[in-house]
Amino acid sequence: MSKRKNWILSITGIVIVGLFLFPVYWMIITAFKTQNEVFQTPPTFFPQNFQLDSFLTVISGGVGQYFLNSVIIAGCATIVVLLLSVPSAYGLARFKVRGIGLMMLVFLVTQMLPATVVLTPLFVVFNNTGLLNTYVAPILATATLGVPFSVLLLRTFFMGIPKELEEAASIDGCGRLRAFLQVILPISLPSVLVCGAISFFFAWGDLIFSITFNRDQELWPLTAGIFNAIGRYGIEWNNLMAFATISVLPVIIIFVLLQKHLVEGLVSGSVK
Amino acid sequence: MLPMWKEIRTQWKGYVFVLPAVIFMLVLIGYPLIYNIVLSFQNVDLSNLATDDKQFVGFENYRTIMVEGVFGISVVNTLIYTVASVLFQVIIGFLLASFFSMKFKLAGFLRGLMMISWLIPLTVTALLFKFMMGSKEGIFNQMLLNANLISEPIGWLSSPDVALWSVIIANIWVGIPFNMLLLSTGLSSLPKDVYESASLDGANWWQKLIHITLPLLKPVLLVVLMLGFIYTFKVFDVVYVMTGGGPINSTEVLSTLAFRYSFSDFEFSLGAAVANVLFAILFIISLIYLRMIKKDEGV
Repeated sequence: MSKRKNWILSITGIVIVGLFLFPVYWMIITAFKTQNEVFQTPPTFFPQNFQLDSFLTVISGGVGQYFLNSVIIAGCATIVVLLLSVPSAYGLARFKVRGIGLMMLVFLVTQMLPATVVLTPLFVVFNNTGLLNTYVAPILATATLGVPFSVLLLRTFFMGIPKELEEAASIDGCGRLRAFLQVILPISLPSVLVCGAISFFFAWGDLIFSITFNRDQELWPLTAGIFNAIGRYGIEWNNLMAFATISVLPVIIIFVLLQKHLVEGLVSGSVK
Repeated sequence: MLPMWKEIRTQWKGYVFVLPAVIFMLVLIGYPLIYNIVLSFQNVDLSNLATDDKQFVGFENYRTIMVEGVFGISVVNTLIYTVASVLFQVIIGFLLASFFSMKFKLAGFLRGLMMISWLIPLTVTALLFKFMMGSKEGIFNQMLLNANLISEPIGWLSSPDVALWSVIIANIWVGIPFNMLLLSTGLSSLPKDVYESASLDGANWWQKLIHITLPLLKPVLLVVLMLGFIYTFKVFDVVYVMTGGGPINSTEVLSTLAFRYSFSDFEFSLGAAVANVLFAILFIISLIYLRMIKKDEGV
């Protein structure tokens, strides 16, 4: 490819992505505008009076607690997902278990299930077990989003690892479990990280489970907080956008850190 | 005798690895699924949800939701929403995938950057589009008015004729990068030499697209369409946050209707019936999808 063509395509690409991600830019700069400027015509594409008041407003409005709740819910859900799905994927990839087709089917079908179908029954189950209005309910419910995805992605990955690696380990006197922990896990770390990140995103983005299982605002994650703030802040868009920006921040940070692995992992995890 | 013993021993270890996740999903998804089907044939509301005083009423709930009218609107809305979203996501995703498949310097980086729209929590995306589609202060109307493309502000979310398309636009934005990513992978696996010989024969871009790319890409395209359908059909967050199903039910979809029956009206059995219709449609689509990918899975 000629240098000239490379340049033209790169600039076209930047313009396309810039236009596509304009809403994200608009969200962030609106958070730094004054209320008057938000309603100004014609709109300003960069804040005239750059200010942090909206962030201070939402922080004093309790965004910190929501943030903490989101971290707790999404963090714990991710741990649950990894503890369950890593061994399961390994088992499905390496052992000739009876009923393997049926179990794969369980994961494939549950991945496609709408949350509304399980919502009321889970509400009843959590009610009977005293888990309503605790962190446990949304943690367990959002973990169900990550488990099938992770099992299917990691199984494909494990199947690609040569069996000789474990056989060599077992000759060295390692048991199956130790071979798994000491040989397989270290080389699978990037894929496991991808599953962790995706499961974290799934849980971080949940709204329906949290607003259904937790009536107690003290336990709400950011998404539920935002939904509630729409009523509270009305058309104070700068405050709402500050709230939104804070909610998106961790997702973008994780994405930037893991970008290359994430893009590859997403493809293999979604199609299979 | 010996090989069988060996098989049982290795199998036993396999189950220890596999079963915890399977049991977790069966308890938290499988059991609720069946519970929900039972619920849809009972008469459960807030008064008897926690008691044993539940009666079977046959298809009564299904009859009720049909008669109440919103159900029909929701089915149609869900279908329009899904088909329009998936169609535009796949077309735009394909164009972008083709663009980024020209391996220029920033292609990989820029393509990855677009994923941000897919990763943002749907609640935030919905709020953001609600803001941009505001009738007075929204940037959409401001820009269209400034460019003299419209003379009156569009009631993106307040006009019953437009609102469904507004939530569709937001959803298309969310799904484009994901479709692009899957199609990029498909495009990169196509054989290069076919294109080279077609170029030698003087085929232009359009001819190559119609006669080579699309036929070769058909399996990938089908998978992308099916996945798109499955993930879009169960839409909840975008609609719930942007419009809540309104104005006058013009954006009500099956998920929001089921949620409204169950958790606003506390008519749990009616909600269950709506959710089951949603599930039944998705289940059929999923079965077709599973048949399609079964060869690759080797199970």
